[in-house]
Amino acid sequence: MQENKNISFGHNEFNIQGKVKGAMASFFKRRKKSIQISKNEEPGSGQEKKKEETGPMQAGKSEESSAGKSGEASQKQPDALYTSLAANLDKIKRKTGNSPDVVIRPIKVGGAQAELETAVVYVKGLVDDQSIHDFLIESLMNNAELQKELSPEKAMKTIKDDVVAIGGIKSVKKWDDLFADLMSGNALILIDGSEEALMASTQGGQRRSVQEPTTNVAIRGSKESFTESLETNQAMVRRIINNPDLWVESMNLGKMTKTSVSIMYINGIAKKEIVDEVRTRLKQIDIDSILESGYIEQLIEDQTMTTFPTVYHTERPDAVAGNLLEGRVAVFVNGTPFVLLAPAVFIQFFQSVEDYYARFDISTAIRFLRVLIFFISLVGPAVYIAATTFHQEMIPTALAIIVAAQRESSPFPAFVEAIIMEVTFEILREAGLRLPKAIGATVSIVGGLVVGQAAVQAGIVSPAMLIVVAITAIASFATPSYAIAISARLIRFLFMVSAAMFGFYGLILALIMLIVHLCSLRSFGIPYMSPLAPVIPSELGDTIVRKPLWAFGKRPQLIAAENRTREGKNQKPKPPESRGMKHYTRKEEKDET
Amino acid sequence: MKRKWILFSTMMISMAFLSGCWSKKELSELALISAVGIDRDEDGNYMKAIQIINPGNVSSGLQGGGGGQAPGVTVITAEGKSIVDVHINASAEISRQLYHPHANLIVIGEDLAREQPLNTLLDSFDRNAEFRNTAQLVIAKKSPAADLIKVLSPVEKLPSEKIYKTLDVTEKMRGENITVSLQDFIKTSASPGIEPVLSSFTLEGDVKEGKKQENIQQSQPETIVKADGLAIFKEDKLVDFYSGNMARGVVWILDRVKQTDVLLDWKKNKDAITYSVIRQSTSVSADTSKDLPEITVNVKAEGMIRETEAPVKLDDPNVIHELEKTAEKEIKEQLERTVKQTQNKKTDIFGFGQTVYRKDADKWKKLRNNWNDDYFPNLKVKVNVDAFIRRTGLRTAPNLSEIKEKYE
Repeated sequence: MQENKNISFGHNEFNIQGKVKGAMASFFKRRKKSIQISKNEEPGSGQEKKKEETGPMQAGKSEESSAGKSGEASQKQPDALYTSLAANLDKIKRKTGNSPDVVIRPIKVGGAQAELETAVVYVKGLVDDQSIHDFLIESLMNNAELQKELSPEKAMKTIKDDVVAIGGIKSVKKWDDLFADLMSGNALILIDGSEEALMASTQGGQRRSVQEPTTNVAIRGSKESFTESLETNQAMVRRIINNPDLWVESMNLGKMTKTSVSIMYINGIAKKEIVDEVRTRLKQIDIDSILESGYIEQLIEDQTMTTFPTVYHTERPDAVAGNLLEGRVAVFVNGTPFVLLAPAVFIQFFQSVEDYYARFDISTAIRFLRVLIFFISLVGPAVYIAATTFHQEMIPTALAIIVAAQRESSPFPAFVEAIIMEVTFEILREAGLRLPKAIGATVSIVGGLVVGQAAVQAGIVSPAMLIVVAITAIASFATPSYAIAISARLIRFLFMVSAAMFGFYGLILALIMLIVHLCSLRSFGIPYMSPLAPVIPSELGDTIVRKPLWAFGKRPQLIAAENRTREGKNQKPKPPESRGMKHYTRKEEKDET
Repeated sequence: MKRKWILFSTMMISMAFLSGCWSKKELSELALISAVGIDRDEDGNYMKAIQIINPGNVSSGLQGGGGGQAPGVTVITAEGKSIVDVHINASAEISRQLYHPHANLIVIGEDLAREQPLNTLLDSFDRNAEFRNTAQLVIAKKSPAADLIKVLSPVEKLPSEKIYKTLDVTEKMRGENITVSLQDFIKTSASPGIEPVLSSFTLEGDVKEGKKQENIQQSQPETIVKADGLAIFKEDKLVDFYSGNMARGVVWILDRVKQTDVLLDWKKNKDAITYSVIRQSTSVSADTSKDLPEITVNVKAEGMIRETEAPVKLDDPNVIHELEKTAEKEIKEQLERTVKQTQNKKTDIFGFGQTVYRKDADKWKKLRNNWNDDYFPNLKVKVNVDAFIRRTGLRTAPNLSEIKEKYE
């Protein structure tokens, strides 16, 4: 037994190696669009040069083929279950490396005479214990039908139809499906003498409950945020959009992790081309693992050489619902509360769900503020550097004197000073982010007081610089989307360098380059800057300004499909017609009294 | 292809690094000039006094800053053959690069202004991209320009600010000065049919005392700089100073009076009533039908009674009307006197020539050559004043009348 375990461990390792290499190789091939994929499968034909490398891989592959890689393996050897229960269980044990959390529970059915060996197999922790005990094992043991003499086929049918009181039940015939289901938390029922196994959906176990969002916090609006469970997340959106047109497609991605990923969109509102594009890009993903939606985001982006996010992600079900209703496609990934939304446009990152919940005047003012904030966080220190080292004439005299007085004692040029402070701040932020909350406060005290105050008092940095850095820092926190704030954080240094080299001239050049870059970006084929560039006048009402809700005529034309009508005409609320107020006079009042 | 890219990006990056920081200058390497004063010495050399800000002494809010202990400015002086020459010579006296853009005041000494056309003097300022054309231009009356710049000022930490702001405030309150910037002056002196005027400042007290910090450490500084009327120019040379009502007359005809007080006589009481003009508009028109043009100055003044030293029944509309008439007469007399005296000086600071030019360009062509000397002094100038009393303050009849009744 001990020896057996060792062997199977070794086997597992081989397997992983083989899989990764295989994935890499085939990914590479796909990129080159070569037809040599078939050659790759024949050992030795195209791989002779890499014999040392492919050695273990081939070993892994040969083992693998018995377990069955869907397409190719089925031709060589059928990927079917064995008839014998013992063989099947042995295979399961071997394949799972005898892991103790894979529970095999043998149960005898079929009466005293013709005992029929059956077994329930599940993974501890992934399943809902209660349904396993109450609806599966107990039913199997106590059901009267099963105590009669039974053939394996009959038993299978009886269990499927009469015994198991669980919603989802199906039969599997292939090892591949079997393991995929087993590892996702379903329970297997194997019967000796049957080439089929039953699969009861018993997914459950400990999961984080629905909590308040931590990243996209809104004062007004739903307090729910997504959890790590794909099903829960989808259900949360379904609870908002109660419509059969809300379609979901699901798939498993990641060769090793087999992560469930699903696309959600509203049929008739989402553009077919965009849905197809998302689907194709997801299908193209060939990677060993998907650990977070960030993996997917990075693999399906249009443009990778940019700091700007071209896929939106959110924790809020209402944000997802709102975007689906604009025609976007949501990508749910199991194991993360962050749901991807595509296509994303630049201006979207300055919008928050609350903008639509608050009245338009307030939302518009706040959106203006957000753009200002973004601008400050982008060019704040750069403007300071440019003004104090190149364009002293642009500073009002009184301010110039104050700044000059502060700079008298500071030993570094403004640029170096700015870099020191910015880097210090980034260090503080990073330190504060990763530490436990209790120590986080200490860091902020040390950072704020010691570094800030002491640095100024020691004369290493000027107070004006500290103010600029502080405003910039606060501005970068005030941007509603962390994704865009972090890109501004990065580009800020670029601006600082160009401002230090060429003053405002360089700053403007860098700004122009940034805008050109932004205009060149696409998100799933949609111009990133739309509806600002290209200008779509009818949609400018939901960019930096927000139109009143009663004037929201149509959905965005670049994103939404044929059904673009959002609301009916004459939605502007009006007071009722006069309720006879003009006839109301003092005289009538007197009459009544 | 890859090599090309590497080459290209290397070139771009080295371009940035080689040419970058071209005109970089740290704020702490600059000497911010706040004011410039120009004089001429006996040998005919220019003397320039440059007032430099000591930022550390000015902003006292800083911890450990010696604000108030040492003067906020330092004045360095240099001489040379030309203005730029002086400027270059001045660099021998200061450890930092002289930086002009924050200079907002140019003071010209009286002697220099009398000897040399100012336009030639101001060329270097106008030509210099670093120098702001919006800097104010003033004349130092009865003292060298350098002295005006050296005197420390109370309240304002920068003496240049003091002069600059005093000019602004007194223009608004009193109407005997006008702010004239470098570009205004150059524009006016280049325009046909008008001669420039500048505000003048005088020094009261001893400059040696004024230079010291002690001067402003007392409640009443010994030495002080104050605005004192206008300097009148003819062909860009200083010819005379006007002050008091004469200066105001000029400002009034130039339509630059914002607020001013006119003292009115009331029934034997001299200067008994203060009529305060709060709004006015003046227009000058020319009648060019005759050989010599006739000029009409129309003044519309609106004001209030601010003070009465004589009993006057202000609740009586007839009295108000009478007061308006008195005010009109007073203003008219003042303006006519100003015009008469200026005609004697033979310099058209009012821009009557310009009015004629705009009205009848052909006629102006005949007149322009000897305008100042021959035609302007003989112009017939008619002044029409329309004064209006808007209100009489919080009281109607002065309490004087009640007091009078009490003792009678």
